[in-house]
Amino acid sequence: MAAITAGAQTREIKFTEFDLPNGLHVILHEDHSTPIVAVSVMYHVGSKDEAKDRRGFAHFFEHLLFEGSDNIGRGEFSKYVEKAGGVLNANTNGDRTYYYEVLPSNQVELGLWLESERMMHARVEAKGIETQREVVKEERRQRFENQPYGSILPEVLRRAYTEHPYQWPTIGFMEDLNAASEKDYQTFYKTFYVPNNAVLVLAGDIDAKKAPDLVKKYFAAIPKGGTIPRTKIVEPPMKGEVRDVVYDRIQLPAVVEAYRIPAYGTKDFYAVDMLNRLLSNGNSSRLVKNVKDAEQKAVYVGSFSLPFEQPGLAIAFAIANMGVSADTLEASMERQFALVRDTPVSAAELDKLKAQVETEFISANARMSGIAENLASAYTFLDGTKQVDTEIEQYLAVTAADLQRVAKQYFVPQNRVVLHYLPQSQKK
Amino acid sequence: MDTPQALSLATLLLIPALMTAQVDRTKAPAAGPAPEVRLGEHKSFTLANGMRVIVVENHKLPMVSAQVRFDIPPVLQGDKVGYQDLVGELLTSGTNRRTKQQIDELVDGLGAQLNGGNDGLFASALKKNFPQLMDLVFEVVTSATYPPAEFEKAKTAMLTGVQARADDPDQIADVVGRALTYGKGFPYGEVVTEATLNKVTRAQVYAYYQYFFQPKIGYLVLVGDITEAEARATAEKYFAKWTGAHVPVTKDAADNDVVKDLGPIIKASAAPQATRPRQVAFVDRPGSAQSVIKAVFPVDLKPNDPMALQAQVLNTILGGGVFNARLMQNLREDKGYTYGAYSSLDADRWCGSFSAGCSVRNAVTDSAVTELLFEIGHIQEMPVTADELALAKSYMAGSFARSLEDPRTIARFALNTYLNDLPKDHYATYLKRLDTVSVASVQTAAQRFLHPDNAMVLVVGDKEQVANKLAPLSFTKSVVYYDMNGDLYREAFEMPPAGMTAQTVLDAYITAIGGKAAVEKVKDLRKEYTASMQGMTVTMTEYNAAPNKYAMEMRSGAMTLQKVVFDGTRGMASGMGGKKELVDTELQDVKEDAYAFPELHYADLDFAALLNGVVEVNGKKAYRVQVRSSGGGLFNEYYDQATGLKIRRVEAQASEEGTFQVITDFSDYKPVNGVLFPYTIRQNAGMDLTFSATAIEVNKGLPASTFTVE
Repeated sequence: MAAITAGAQTREIKFTEFDLPNGLHVILHEDHSTPIVAVSVMYHVGSKDEAKDRRGFAHFFEHLLFEGSDNIGRGEFSKYVEKAGGVLNANTNGDRTYYYEVLPSNQVELGLWLESERMMHARVEAKGIETQREVVKEERRQRFENQPYGSILPEVLRRAYTEHPYQWPTIGFMEDLNAASEKDYQTFYKTFYVPNNAVLVLAGDIDAKKAPDLVKKYFAAIPKGGTIPRTKIVEPPMKGEVRDVVYDRIQLPAVVEAYRIPAYGTKDFYAVDMLNRLLSNGNSSRLVKNVKDAEQKAVYVGSFSLPFEQPGLAIAFAIANMGVSADTLEASMERQFALVRDTPVSAAELDKLKAQVETEFISANARMSGIAENLASAYTFLDGTKQVDTEIEQYLAVTAADLQRVAKQYFVPQNRVVLHYLPQSQKK
Repeated sequence: MDTPQALSLATLLLIPALMTAQVDRTKAPAAGPAPEVRLGEHKSFTLANGMRVIVVENHKLPMVSAQVRFDIPPVLQGDKVGYQDLVGELLTSGTNRRTKQQIDELVDGLGAQLNGGNDGLFASALKKNFPQLMDLVFEVVTSATYPPAEFEKAKTAMLTGVQARADDPDQIADVVGRALTYGKGFPYGEVVTEATLNKVTRAQVYAYYQYFFQPKIGYLVLVGDITEAEARATAEKYFAKWTGAHVPVTKDAADNDVVKDLGPIIKASAAPQATRPRQVAFVDRPGSAQSVIKAVFPVDLKPNDPMALQAQVLNTILGGGVFNARLMQNLREDKGYTYGAYSSLDADRWCGSFSAGCSVRNAVTDSAVTELLFEIGHIQEMPVTADELALAKSYMAGSFARSLEDPRTIARFALNTYLNDLPKDHYATYLKRLDTVSVASVQTAAQRFLHPDNAMVLVVGDKEQVANKLAPLSFTKSVVYYDMNGDLYREAFEMPPAGMTAQTVLDAYITAIGGKAAVEKVKDLRKEYTASMQGMTVTMTEYNAAPNKYAMEMRSGAMTLQKVVFDGTRGMASGMGGKKELVDTELQDVKEDAYAFPELHYADLDFAALLNGVVEVNGKKAYRVQVRSSGGGLFNEYYDQATGLKIRRVEAQASEEGTFQVITDFSDYKPVNGVLFPYTIRQNAGMDLTFSATAIEVNKGLPASTFTVE
C-alpha cells in the first residue's frame, strides 16, 4: 500500500469555504483554464425525507422549481441560462436534490441570481403543476415501465426495507403526486429549501476574492429556516433472506442480489465499495471474468454500492446468456461470493483495485461541473469538504483482511434480497 | 374575477426589505465583459509509413490518452451483417504475445481503459502507467489474433443480444429507424439478425481487420500530460516501422477489391435520398407503456457543406438539446406528452440524416406524431424568430467554449479536419461564422435539409392501443407493419397439420359450439351486450330469425344511436344522421350478419375461405382462416386449435381518414339451449371496447315487426 500512495498521482482541488449568517454554506474553487463557471446548489433533501403518502415528492418538487419565481416567469428560468450560453439541469436521489448551471464566466452573477430566486421565492402556477405531473408520469414510464428490467430498483427497495423510507424509489408513485395539495408544496419548500439546508458552489473562472461579496449580494437576504427534520427511522436488520420472482416483458432471465451495507462515509462502506470493484470493475474482475467470460452464464454482470447516507445496499445484477436459467446463473454468481468470503485476495489483486480507484479519482475531477458536485457532496455527506481530496485515502487504506471481513459480514444470504426476473411466458 | 391560480411560496417568508434594497431582483443581472475563448493548439506530423500523428499537450491532469483511428469507408456486410461489430468486439481479445485474460489483467492492473472498435481503439491511463499501456496499444493494433474460442464466445453473446433486442423498445426504434432512414442497401441501414450472424466466420472478421488496419489510412492521436517531444518519441518508437499486414487483393467484375475470406469490398453506393411519400411504419410491442416515436429521413449534408453550420443552428432551434427548443417546449412543457423530445440533423461524409422523436403515453401517440410533423414543417414555412436565433447561437457558442474544457476536444477537431476535408481554420473561425448565421439562412437550411413530406414515421408500441389512429398521418392512408429487424412484418406461422382445410376448421367450430343439429334448432336469437364507452353505457342488441332475417339496435339509455334492419332482401340503416337504404357492399355485409351462424353459410354467401397456417393469438395456437367475401373484402378468423372455438376476427375497415384494422376477440363462451355463445366480445379499432352479454335468448319468439323494413 505504501508503494501505491507514495507514487500516487493526485491532484488537489483547492477551495475556500464560508457560511453566511443565514446558514448557507459557500464553497469556491478558482480555475481559469476555461472561461466557464459552474454554479450549483445542493439541498440536503431527498426521497427519504418524504411523508409515507407523498412518495416521489422531492423529485417532483425538483421539476417544479424550474417553473419560475416572483421575478421569473414560467419557462423563463431555462431561457435565461440558455440565452447566456449555458446549460442547466438537476437531479434528485434518496438523500439530496442538486441543481446546477454551467455558464460562460462573465455570467456568474446570472447564476447567482437564478439560484437565489429559486431559494428565496420560487413560484409555481397551476398549469406548471399539471404539466410537470404529466411529465413525471412520462419519465416514470420511460425509465421504469417501458424498459426491460426497468423495475429492478423499485422491486429491490420495497423488499430490502420495511421501515426506512429508502423502501420507495425516488421517482415515487403517481397516486401520491396526484394527492399533493398546495399546503404540501408550501410546507416542503419552507422546511427544506432554506439556506441552512443548502450548499452553494462556484467552480471555475471566478475571482475567489470578489466572489464572497457577489454571493452575499444575492443570498444574504434569504432568511434562515428552522431546524431541519431528519428521519430517525432505523431499519432493523434483515430477519433472513427475502427471495422472490418478478415476471417482466423479457426473454432472458436475470438475477438480482441486494445486500444491506453500511452508510456512505463509514470505514466499512469503502471496503464494500472496493469489494464491488473486485467483483465487477473491468474485464478481469471476478464476476465478469468467471460468470460472463469463462462460464458464459451471463451476457451482462455488474455490482455496485448505493452510497446512501443511511445504511444502503450493494446490488449485483446479471442477465443470463441464451439458454441459461436463473438458478444456474445464481449458482455461478454465488461461487464468486463464496470465494471472496472464504479466501483473502492477493496483494496483486488489491493493488489493481487501488490503481483503478486512483484513475477514477483523478478523472472524476476533469470538469468544472464534476468538481462542483464533488465539492458539494463531500461537504454534505462526508467529514468536511476537504474529503474531496482525501476520500481516496479511505479506499487505499482498505486491506485484504478488510475485504474478506466485509464479505463475510455483509455478502451473506441472510442479509440479502434475491430476485429472479423471468419472462412473463413462464408465469404459471 | 378570473386570474391564473398561483401558488406564492414567498408569502410564507418574511423578506427583509432593507437588505434587498441594494439588489434589483426584478431583472437578470447584466453580463460582465465577454471572456476570450482560446482554442488550444495541436501539433501534427506524419510518420514514414503514412500514419498521421496528432498531439495535444495539456498538463492539467496527470493523464494521457491514445486513440488509433483508421479512415475506413462504409462497406456493405450483405448477408453477413454483424461481422464488422465483431471486428471491434474482439480487437482486444488476444495478440501474438498475450491472451485475452492477460490483456484484461494488464489493463485493469494499470487502472487503465482500453476499448476496441471496428475502426481502431481508444486507451487512457495515468501518466505513470501510460508507457506500459502504449506497449499494449501497439500490440493490439498490429498483431491482434482473433482467437477462435473468443470468436465463438463473442458471437454467442451477440446472438443473445440480438434476441434480447426484442425486449427493448429504444433499441428496436434505433435499429428499425436506421433501416428506414437509409434502406438496407446502404451500409448504415443494414440490420444484424440471428440469420446474418450465423453466417459470420472468424476468418472473415480477421480478414477485415488485416485489410483495413493499415498505416496509410491511420491516425494516432495523443492527448494530455505528454510533451510534443515525448509524443514524437512514442509515435516513432512504436508505429514508424509498422508496415501493416500484406493482404493479397484481386478484382471482381465491378472493380471491387476482393479479399480472401472477406469477399468483395462493396463500398457504399450513391447515398439514399428522401423521396418516398410519408409513411407510418409500426413495430408491434404488445403491452408497451409508451410509444417510442421517430420521424426519420436521409439528408444530403456533408460536414464540409457551406450550410453545415446553419443546419446545426436550425436543429438547435427545432430540438437539438436546448430546453427551449420547439419540440421540448411543445411536446413537454406545453402538452405534457413526454419526458423529453429531441431532434438531430447529422452531417456525414457518406450520408447525413435527420431524426426527431420522443417516448409518449399510448393515448397521445397520434397527437404527438402530429405535433412532431407540424414542427418539422412549420420551421420550413415560417422564419424563426430573432429571439430563438439569438438563444441558439449563444447556446452553441457556450457549448463550444465548454467543450474546450476537455483537451481531447482539440484533438477531435484536428482529426475531423483531416477526415472530413474541412478548411484548416474551420474550428478557429467557428465562433465568427456562427455569429453571421441569419434568420434567412436558417430558413434556407430548413428548406434544403428537412423533408417532412418524405419522412418515415416509426412507432414502436402496442399496436392494439395506438396503430389505427396513425393511418391518417401517412400519405398512403395506411400503417405499414415492420418486424424488429426492419423487414416488413409477416405473422409468424406454422403449416397446418396434413388434412386440415378451412372447411374442416369451420366444421370443427360448429361441432365445438354444440354441433350442427343443435345449431340448426336455433330459429330465433336475441343477443344483448353492453359496453362502457367514454363514460356512457351502450347497449347493443342483435336479433336473428331463420333463415336470414336480422336486426341490430344500439342504444344509450333511451336514445337510439344506430339501428339496422334486414328482412332477407332489403336492408335499412337509421341513426342520428337519418335513414338510408343499404346498397352495394353495405347490403352484402349485412347478409353475412343475417345468418345466426354465418360460418355454416360461407358457400351460400359466395365467400371463399382458405386455411392460412397456425399462428399464436393471445398465447394460444390458432388456425388462421382467411375469408374473401363476395364483395371482395378480406378478413381473417382465428380458431383455437385446442377448443375449436373462434377467438378472433380481424378485418380492415376503410374510411376517409384511412384504413383501420378492427380486431374483435371472442371469449367466455357459455351454453344457451345447447349452443355456446361468447359472453365477452372485445373490439379494438383504435379504442378498446368490451361488450359483455347481458342476455342471450334462443327461440323465445320475436315479433315480425322486428324485421320490418319501412
